[in-house]
Amino acid sequence: MRDPYSVLGVSQNASDDEVKKAYRELARKYHPDNYQNNPLADLAEEKMKEINEAYDTITKQRAGGYTGSSSGSYGGYQRSGYASGNPAYVRIRNLINAGDLNQAEQMLYEVGQKDGEWYFLSGSIAYRKGWMDEAMQNYTRAVQMDPNNMEYRQALAVMQRGSMGGYRPAGYTAGLDTMDCCTTMLCLNCLCGGGHC
Amino acid sequence: MFGYVRPFRPELKCRDFDLYRATYCGLCRCLRRRYGLIAPMLLNFDFTFLALLLWEPEDRFTPCRGRCHANPLRKLPMCPDSPALELAADESVVLAWWKLRDSVQDEGFWRGLPARVLSWLLRPACRKAARRCPEFDKTVRSCLAELAELEREECPSLDRPADAFARLLQSAAPREGTQGRVLSQLLYHLGRWIYLADARDDLEEDKLSSRYNPVAARYGRSGDDEALRLTMDYSLELMGAALQLGDFSCRTPLLENIVYLGLPLVERAVFDGTWKDIKKQKIWRNDT
Repeated sequence: MRDPYSVLGVSQNASDDEVKKAYRELARKYHPDNYQNNPLADLAEEKMKEINEAYDTITKQRAGGYTGSSSGSYGGYQRSGYASGNPAYVRIRNLINAGDLNQAEQMLYEVGQKDGEWYFLSGSIAYRKGWMDEAMQNYTRAVQMDPNNMEYRQALAVMQRGSMGGYRPAGYTAGLDTMDCCTTMLCLNCLCGGGHC
Repeated sequence: MFGYVRPFRPELKCRDFDLYRATYCGLCRCLRRRYGLIAPMLLNFDFTFLALLLWEPEDRFTPCRGRCHANPLRKLPMCPDSPALELAADESVVLAWWKLRDSVQDEGFWRGLPARVLSWLLRPACRKAARRCPEFDKTVRSCLAELAELEREECPSLDRPADAFARLLQSAAPREGTQGRVLSQLLYHLGRWIYLADARDDLEEDKLSSRYNPVAARYGRSGDDEALRLTMDYSLELMGAALQLGDFSCRTPLLENIVYLGLPLVERAVFDGTWKDIKKQKIWRNDT
């Protein structure tokens, strides 16, 4: 295992607060919420596991060998269970989760009747492929056909959130949205190109 | 189609700016060395971004000095040659070549003349580049053929043509390992974003000359900026998420600047129509 301090990016003699802060920042960055349905979700999960372990190790070391439960660390991410009636849909969901999109797509075409779940799954496949516009259309259809389903509504809400939701490193968070048109122009003129440095 | 990917300079640290500049100059030198004196004309910001992405992670950046192509009397800091830079140079030539062929076909005789001359001059360079990265050349060919086919049949979907272009760019990075997966996701969404930005940028022009435009085909003749912006922002979002999982060490702040600040600002300019002016300026005020 890597040195837990280098995993968190802090020095050996960092204070408890610094360790905690570094851990929080990393946990925010790799939080499963930022990688929902993302084809790279497993990589984020690995990172999350690594930093959780590193933080646990450090807190244990610092507590003088005390092996209690680490209350601070974020828990693992559990996918909520599905209640699906149609066995074909269950198989398609498994295929999507395993990343086998072609197979999932083919199976979905073989399902004759198109209900809310059909559109939802079709949207999920499009999403995984990066076809965001079709994902959005399909999720919208799914919600229209089955307005009470929380899963569909959540998927649609995530898409409508746009760029507001995800992680941004410190310094890239605010500011740009508050700029008026004029400032944007000024700034764009500075987009590498002008002047000498 | 090129030139959208650039950093947002006021927020760059000096050392990141130097790094960017050195990569730009290093890529220029690499193009000249591998493909002769005309090849540096192909250099642009997008290819610089590609070079930055492909670079092997290293903790510190140490430039060497080299002569500037535009002004041989000046010596500038440049990043040294490396396999990654050479790969970026080869792929740049392939991409630029196909882009030129595309404009030769799209434009009429007179307007297409500069592109025709340039592509004639670059033919040997392109052949060489295609020999050096045959896989990439093949993918680019097949994706562009697919794209041309979709455009001919006036595909009503926004995602399908964007997907063809995105896969094209995606193949610029090797796919092996964690870093490969991260890069291919990042490049996929970069390609998608570039394609959509370009389509939105050409919307007016295509309307006048009644050419196919994917944005018009999807949202109607005047487009739907709100929906398009949402889907483009989503691609940016996924690029950011991928970027955080990769290992770019000392290039991270620069790449973050491009993805989180540069691209959103360019997007905004494309939507409010100021992009055309900025793009024009850029040609004369290119990094010297």
